[in-house]
Amino acid sequence: MRQTKYITSGGLAFSEKKDMEKLRSYSFKGWHVSKFTFMGYTLEKGVSSDYIYSLDYRWLNDDDEEEYFEFFSSAGWSHVTSEGNIHLFRAHPGTKPIYTDRETTVEKYENSTVGMLKFAIPLVLITALVWVVAMIVSGTLKSILLVAAVILSAIVVPTVWTVITAYSNKWKVEGRRGLGNLGKTIPFLFLLIAVIILLFGVGTGATVDILTSMMIGGIALPTAIWLIMSLYHKIGGKRG
Amino acid sequence: MKKTEQLTDSMSYIMAALTKPRHGYAIMNLIEETTKGAITIGPASMYTIIKKLLKQEWIYLYDESNSRRKTYLLTEKGREVLGEDLKVRKLMIQLAETGLEEA
Repeated sequence: MRQTKYITSGGLAFSEKKDMEKLRSYSFKGWHVSKFTFMGYTLEKGVSSDYIYSLDYRWLNDDDEEEYFEFFSSAGWSHVTSEGNIHLFRAHPGTKPIYTDRETTVEKYENSTVGMLKFAIPLVLITALVWVVAMIVSGTLKSILLVAAVILSAIVVPTVWTVITAYSNKWKVEGRRGLGNLGKTIPFLFLLIAVIILLFGVGTGATVDILTSMMIGGIALPTAIWLIMSLYHKIGGKRG
Repeated sequence: MKKTEQLTDSMSYIMAALTKPRHGYAIMNLIEETTKGAITIGPASMYTIIKKLLKQEWIYLYDESNSRRKTYLLTEKGREVLGEDLKVRKLMIQLAETGLEEA
């Protein structure tokens, strides 16, 4: 019987290094990552070993795959799993890193942002448009559009946050520390602006309500995901 | 990249190794051996640079019969670029050497 369990990811744009350290310490306890799972990783029970983990971001053509993975395996990095443009590798401690110079490390984070803007920009524009139209029209249409706008905003905020973080990761390795730090402060500025708009738009009481529910949502959602995924793995593990 | 822009160290090493047809692993090994382990090129850096050099047409796919170990070779343009880069690097070494001798 294969014993598996699920752990959440901090979000690769936000905590790639922390995630990799977490995977290492789980391997030490005999739980080895076997694949990416919705917002986290699936671990499989095995023998305790000391493995270090590294990630690469790259869209690969079919005829490039073999060569790409061969580069890694000949350097001592075995391929664990891939999902889209994200590839996870592991090696024994002391293996030389997969990126050895700054120029190519910058490109790694550039690769991690590929496609993000194409998704984020239309999303932001559509959301803004729905808000504007919702403000103009009245009646049932207004209510429908408002609900749509709120749902879209709930998707836009984490998306924009991820994009900004991915870019600031890139700026950081480029040595543009100023910009990198700016990337970190932008989300808080966003939040501040949102709070100010809310305070003027809907009044203090409603603002507190909205912020409280946002906070509860922020904690409850990841917890719920973790609970459901863990449960799913317990049941799946018993069957397997 | 503009032609006048200097090559990164890793790019120079890889191009220097591609004066003969070689595959990725052979390039990594040659660089490590020649520099006595002082310089290593990680697999992700290597792959990134190979793709970039192909795009610049400074190297070309020499033999792809073994899809795991494709070999590459410098193009004429690549040889020129490497030669120019070498000139600049020699000047740097010269500057440092004379400076150190005088001191």
